[in-house]
Amino acid sequence: MSEPVSELLMFQVGARVFASTVRDVVRIGNVADVDASELIEGTSLGPTFGRERGIVVAGLDGAAEATLVVDQVLGVRSVLDSEIQPLPAFAAAVIRSGAVSRLVLLDDAPTLLVDLPTLVRERLAATTTRPSPA
Amino acid sequence: MSQGRPSIEPLPAGAGRSGQDAWFFCLRILGGRYAFEAALVTEVVRLGPLTRLPAAPSFLPGVFTHRGEVLPVLDIGQMVGQGAIVIRASTRAAVVHCGPWKVAVISDGLEGLVVIPRRNLEASPAESSGMAEFLSGVARDKLGTIAVLDLPRLVEAARSRAVPYGSSAP
Repeated sequence: MSEPVSELLMFQVGARVFASTVRDVVRIGNVADVDASELIEGTSLGPTFGRERGIVVAGLDGAAEATLVVDQVLGVRSVLDSEIQPLPAFAAAVIRSGAVSRLVLLDDAPTLLVDLPTLVRERLAATTTRPSPA
Repeated sequence: MSQGRPSIEPLPAGAGRSGQDAWFFCLRILGGRYAFEAALVTEVVRLGPLTRLPAAPSFLPGVFTHRGEVLPVLDIGQMVGQGAIVIRASTRAAVVHCGPWKVAVISDGLEGLVVIPRRNLEASPAESSGMAEFLSGVARDKLGTIAVLDLPRLVEAARSRAVPYGSSAP
């Protein structure tokens, strides 16, 4: 029996490469085609440089779709589920985001596996709780 | 100890626990000499390319891979607010176990094992800020003064001072 495999979407934000499970992604789009109010930027993944691509993520609990702005979508890689591992315990205990709790070793380098719905939810929550200027 | 070696020598049985001598692992951080209980150190490794973590506190500059294991890096200088340790290609880290946590402690340089006669250990100064908050004592050897850190307490403080996802700030 073959080992279970996950399909990962590889994408780039700034100089850093991240992965997410393909099942979290509705489609890939162009940022220019999306209304600015639906774009998700300034997440904990860091600033974007080119803002060329958007990863459309399904809203949770019936919420509207959201488009995460990224610099590049690099493609899809298949990895064995056994290659996906949790963050080291100390890192998991101190990190201030629930969107990154796992990683996968690709070419012997730890690549962070991003939970896109959680990332979007955290960004929206930060936006709505940001204090208004005096 | 040579910095070119991948791991430290095993400690003699009972080292650091009893007897007239105390065994410490010594490193240099931001111009000072610091040490902690040698038995906490499992090996010394060359720091691989760092993967930085989003939303990580400043004392956690990233994670790296060592023999297929992903290790978090602890910058003690950042933890105590005394500045970041510059990470270079030559940077090595001491891999330590502190209770449930396994971290790679970076420094400006590793001296390795030092043996201090217990009679040469003095109480730490009564300060409660910066690195002094985590000192358990002060020692002296032929190279000068060594500040002895209570590393498990420092690591636990780092964990508790960070505000993990889902928690409220204190």
